[in-house]
Amino acid sequence: MVLIKSIKTGFVKGIETTWMLGKVVVPVYLLVTILKYTPVIEWITSIFTPLMALFNLPGEAAIILVLGNVLNLYAAIGAITAISLTPMEVTVIAIMLSFSHSLLIETAVTKKLGISVKKVILIRLGLAVVSGILVGQLGGVI
Amino acid sequence: MIVDILKEGILGSAKSMYSIAIIVFPIMIGLQILKDYNILNKISNMFRFVTKIFNISSDSVFPLLVGVIFGISYGAGVIIQSSKDGDITSRDLFLITVFLVTCHAVIEDTLLFVAVGANGYFLLGIRVLSAIVITFILSRLNISENEEIIENESVVEIN
Repeated sequence: MVLIKSIKTGFVKGIETTWMLGKVVVPVYLLVTILKYTPVIEWITSIFTPLMALFNLPGEAAIILVLGNVLNLYAAIGAITAISLTPMEVTVIAIMLSFSHSLLIETAVTKKLGISVKKVILIRLGLAVVSGILVGQLGGVI
Repeated sequence: MIVDILKEGILGSAKSMYSIAIIVFPIMIGLQILKDYNILNKISNMFRFVTKIFNISSDSVFPLLVGVIFGISYGAGVIIQSSKDGDITSRDLFLITVFLVTCHAVIEDTLLFVAVGANGYFLLGIRVLSAIVITFILSRLNISENEEIIENESVVEIN
């Protein structure tokens, strides 16, 4: 039966995806947890607090945004779970990252479709920044 | 001290992996069923109205849906295939790519963030709405990537 075959294939893909995720999420989680006990996290926090205040996020959130944009969403998710954040803060980060993530890999894909890299990155980062400011400030009011 | 940190890291990452895994499995099975039963092909007629909003060809709807649901890499493959087989102009290609870079793999991405505490309705709503607005604006501005390439080339010649 086709349905059983679909479920089996889907299950195997689930294992593959979870394994692939684990290889990223676990090291990132460990790294961020270790960082939390070193002065490094305080340096990062103090450097990025003014910038992150735009989005109503704590300074540590910069780590999540950088990981998500340079690596991928899974690395960002590993870091989100390692840093304690409010649901509103996670939502702001999620909105920003959903517009702009895995820039290295995905831009290579869009280049294949013949769209200029500059334009793609401009649209994605632009939307991330604008939506981050709007939702972050709105969330602060609510 | 070091043992405590490692313990926190290992337990915490195991917990994160669990909350991700219970979302990934149903998604992968669901997406596989969508794919195997060609459900997207069947429902792409329901999304015909998109062609009117963005003024794109009807052959563009299927690759757009594939990208929105399955992700940009898979979507790109289908877009390239569809543009060989069907009637997709470079303008259509530009507009669906713009839509897809802002809004793709919506099921997986949204649920993964919900697993770590985000508000999914808010997240998905803003993402889809922004993609529609930006694609709509660009579709009315009539910018085509090809025209720009030609412009750039002529600039080079003049220089």
